[in-house]
Amino acid sequence: MEKTCELNFEEPSFFKRIKSMLGVDFYRLFHTPLFYIFLAIAAIIPAIILGTSTMEGSEGIGYTSAWNIIAASKPLYVIESIGDYANMNMVFIFGGIMVSIFIGSDYRSGYVKQLFTTHAKKQDYMISKTITCAFSMACMCITYLLGGVVGGLFAGDSVSFALNGGEIFALVCAIIGKMIMSIGWAALYTFINVILRKFFGISIALSFFFGTGILIIGVAGVFDSLHIPNVLLNAFLYGSSVFACLDSGVFPLLAVLICLVVSVAWTVIYIVLGTTILSKSDVY
Amino acid sequence: MNAIEIRNLTKNFGPKQALSGLDMTVPQGAIYGFIGENGSGKSTTEKIICGLIHPSSGSVKLFGKDYTDIDVRANMGVLIEAPGCFPNYSVWNNMMLQAANLRIKDAEREVVKALKTVRMEGAASNKYKNCSLGMKQRVGIAMALLGNPTLLVLDEPINGLDADGMRIIREVLVDITKNYGSTVVVSSHVLAELEKVATHYGIIKGGKMICEMTASELDSSCRTYSALKSNDMPLTKSVLLKKYSRIEEDESGYIRVYDSVPTEEIVVYLYENGITINEIKTDKISLEEYYIDLMKGGKANG
Repeated sequence: MEKTCELNFEEPSFFKRIKSMLGVDFYRLFHTPLFYIFLAIAAIIPAIILGTSTMEGSEGIGYTSAWNIIAASKPLYVIESIGDYANMNMVFIFGGIMVSIFIGSDYRSGYVKQLFTTHAKKQDYMISKTITCAFSMACMCITYLLGGVVGGLFAGDSVSFALNGGEIFALVCAIIGKMIMSIGWAALYTFINVILRKFFGISIALSFFFGTGILIIGVAGVFDSLHIPNVLLNAFLYGSSVFACLDSGVFPLLAVLICLVVSVAWTVIYIVLGTTILSKSDVY
Repeated sequence: MNAIEIRNLTKNFGPKQALSGLDMTVPQGAIYGFIGENGSGKSTTEKIICGLIHPSSGSVKLFGKDYTDIDVRANMGVLIEAPGCFPNYSVWNNMMLQAANLRIKDAEREVVKALKTVRMEGAASNKYKNCSLGMKQRVGIAMALLGNPTLLVLDEPINGLDADGMRIIREVLVDITKNYGSTVVVSSHVLAELEKVATHYGIIKGGKMICEMTASELDSSCRTYSALKSNDMPLTKSVLLKKYSRIEEDESGYIRVYDSVPTEEIVVYLYENGITINEIKTDKISLEEYYIDLMKGGKANG
């Protein structure tokens, strides 16, 4: 039997490919309880921290303003109290866990088999997952903000919402800066989960580890003792995330710009690395 | 142009060599029965064709293009091992997601058509995790059929299917090759089923293709034999062994004479030796018997 027919193969454009993949990823995101659970966690945590820390009999955590649950007063690379640490950067910890579970399910279900036998490219996968997960973390930033406001209201007069004009602008810029950082963090987590796709437990633990910023906090401690300017840490994701604060020492929009540059640079690095590793290794 | 052309393909998993210089040629429009023992390298070969794993060396061409070309892979339907479905989604949603991945226009109509083909339209709202093994397999096949693929790669598609399911798959494979000119590579251990549809065969052993042939070549090379029953089987066997070299007793209790001699000659010879034959027939060995013989190192053909 030698049956032949005219075959015309058409390579789908990048835009068409990414559009279909994003469509599927966003559909999955909006239809997984995981997304809503993490949105809720992002809202509840700041509300609890702010609400309970100022309750009668509880020890304060050193906030000078209710808005410190969103962004620290200064870029606090070195942590001395929970107040220095507990702000919107925690979203990146929740995000790390969420991304691990989200990407992990692609591999556990065998969905990647279906995906990579079609026109999907490894680069498309990295980009699509990064965008989807960055969106989910940006949403967490918003619910975190809402949770912080509610927690602040519960706290009553003990922590004030009062800010002057310049500080309000800095707060808005800090929130925007942290939301922009979501892209870089999402790229990092996508990268971690892609290279450790066969080790779900390790990938989730490593995502959590990076999300806590312990690595940068440790380096900051060393820098501090050696009198090296901590501002160098802004080249890293956690450093820039810390830099997006109420008073970064520079014009707030410049802080946003730094976040943008750092976030985009790391996103490109992680997408290129992830694509290369995925392309050179077996998918499944 | 062949649908698949593989030359000198090797794949190592650490120190273990899964494929060692495999050659494979699948003509366009063929239903290629890919046969081999467990661990012989069938799934590894299929995964390489699908772009899921990388070969250590060798070349893989699909329709004359490198297997990594996404324009070719966009026209592939695949079922490797189990279907890649999200367990908490319904069958319908899983199908629609794959339709979206394939950028199928009028996805709903295509999904309905694929589900109808595998008789799963009534179970579209079922959660995938609640489907039986056979139903999951049908979903996997429906998913592979989405978008009328030019090349269909099915790894053990009839695992867990009932008789009706197997019949449906047979019909689908014939239909897709006849009406759409598609090419199908199907591996299965159920050789009796494969024999009913395959137009070409490839037999793999130890990571190497030991034999490739068309169905008609297989047919002509399969041994014909005379099978007989008598009132004294042990005596018949010993008498036959005196004259003929290739005598075997099969599971049904027949004595088979594989030597190329007319049936009449056997009848006369046994009659002259005082043996009365109760039953005698001529037949060909099945694909399964051919395969088993080949695996044992036999020539399989007479």
